[in-house]
Amino acid sequence: MSAGTIEVYDLQKTFKGDVQALKGVSLSVGKGEFFAFLGPNGAGKSTTIQILTTLISPTSGRALVSGYDVLTQPEQVRLEIGVALQETGIDPALTGRELLEIQARHFGMSSVAAKKRAVELLEKINLTEDANRRCGNYSGGMRRRLDLALSLVHRPNILFLDEPTTGLDPVNRIAIWEEIRNLNQQLGTTIFLTTQYLEEADQLAERISIIDKGQIVISGTPKELKRRIGMDVIEMHFADEAAATRGAQLLAGLCKQHTQQREIVKCFVEDGTRRLPDFVRTLDAESLQIHSLNLAPPTLDDVFIQVTGKKEGTA
Amino acid sequence: MTRFFIDTWVQTVRHLLVIMRNPFIFLPNIMISLFFLFVYQGGLSSVANLPGFEGSYLAFILPVSIVSAAIGGSGGAGQSLVRDLENGYFSRLLLTPATRISIVLGPMIAGMIQLLVQTVLILIVALFLGLDSASGILGFVVVIALAAGFGLAFAGYSVGVSLRAKNAQASQAGTFIFFPLIFLSSTFVPLEFIEAEWLKWVATINPTTYIFEGMRAVLIEGWQWAPILQGLLAISIMCALTITFASMSARKALNRD
Repeated sequence: MSAGTIEVYDLQKTFKGDVQALKGVSLSVGKGEFFAFLGPNGAGKSTTIQILTTLISPTSGRALVSGYDVLTQPEQVRLEIGVALQETGIDPALTGRELLEIQARHFGMSSVAAKKRAVELLEKINLTEDANRRCGNYSGGMRRRLDLALSLVHRPNILFLDEPTTGLDPVNRIAIWEEIRNLNQQLGTTIFLTTQYLEEADQLAERISIIDKGQIVISGTPKELKRRIGMDVIEMHFADEAAATRGAQLLAGLCKQHTQQREIVKCFVEDGTRRLPDFVRTLDAESLQIHSLNLAPPTLDDVFIQVTGKKEGTA
Repeated sequence: MTRFFIDTWVQTVRHLLVIMRNPFIFLPNIMISLFFLFVYQGGLSSVANLPGFEGSYLAFILPVSIVSAAIGGSGGAGQSLVRDLENGYFSRLLLTPATRISIVLGPMIAGMIQLLVQTVLILIVALFLGLDSASGILGFVVVIALAAGFGLAFAGYSVGVSLRAKNAQASQAGTFIFFPLIFLSSTFVPLEFIEAEWLKWVATINPTTYIFEGMRAVLIEGWQWAPILQGLLAISIMCALTITFASMSARKALNRD
């Protein structure tokens, strides 16, 4: 059975004005898998989600969701999936309870069943007390939780989450993480999550694909990705930004790649332990003071910088 | 088919709830309509004394009040859709298996219900002001039907504009067409009293004129079929145009490219 799976073959999308958002994306997500799609702003994450959830159609390529073609069988696809888009889809004049009931009715439940389902979900997302207040008065975290509940009304096999925690404070972010993890582990719901936060993908996902400029640049488990980069990272804290800039220039020759953020310079090197003395010598020769220097295996963050040439969260 | 009715019903009820919870959606509109009734009836009623003027000025100005309410009520349909588009709820609905057309039809039906309630309300106020309909209570049914038809045409226009513009400002700007529609017509004086040739010409091609005339015929003269049928014809033409426009815009907005 193909319920709960996602198969994407060479998906391309060109918007009006020749903007090529997707340049041939292929991926496959198994039933019950937690998959994260990681990439900077404008990389093509949301476009992919919009195609997979039937909101827009691909220019070419094919996508099957639970075995149904998104282009020719959108109705079947909509019954299989729950979707929480980047912007919450909530009518502020209605109450949480009303929105859940309306959602349930559109998914074919009787009005009695819809009421029952709403009560259940309100309980689950801890919104029972505020169920009869208009959502316009909800906090950001409450809206996100309601939006998530709205996407779960019909117990979908697959849940699409487009940057579900963007703009949330840490407490709410962790609450959402817990909820998603439970869905995945207890109900076996397949999760397709996009995020700009590496920590999020690292924490939650079993498998990650990094997308940049409309193409998948690397895929694998978080561990594999870290290993595949095959390099160590030497991180140096300088006294100030000017010193760091100077240091980065001096060390450029020793690094495979380097990045600088204010007074911090990161250097990717092979076999870091043996190269470390070279670093110290070079800086010493110029009498450049460093506050700290440390050698670490790469984090997912580093993988991201390596493959996209960008710092997370920057366009 | 049952799906279609359930989805449309659910959306209509939602839009009615939204209207009731935001009095500013309908209050200004009712105010303007009552303004026409009270102020012009009070201030211009001596027009009725002019030779050649038939009936009371109240019965004459009442259609202006009703048509203005109809525009406000049905124009709300487009505003509701823009609201949904702007707060993201439109996408949320598109992600459900709900019949696509229900998502557009819901606000239109809610707007029509708002229009009917407002029209009845204005008629009641007019009765209190001493309105004496030449064709009795049954004549009111014709007046309401003309108002509803005109409203439907305007709802089509407003939905079409909103689905294209997709933002509140542009769709609001679109409703300003009500100015020429209402005022470049036999609004305050009968058509034959208008002296400026250009205004007379514009009023003649303005469909609203035929709605006014149809309603006035019923209220002032009784069962005069010619103006009533002209009113219905004007509505049919307008509806044909605006509903086509609305469905073309809807197809474009729901297109997945």
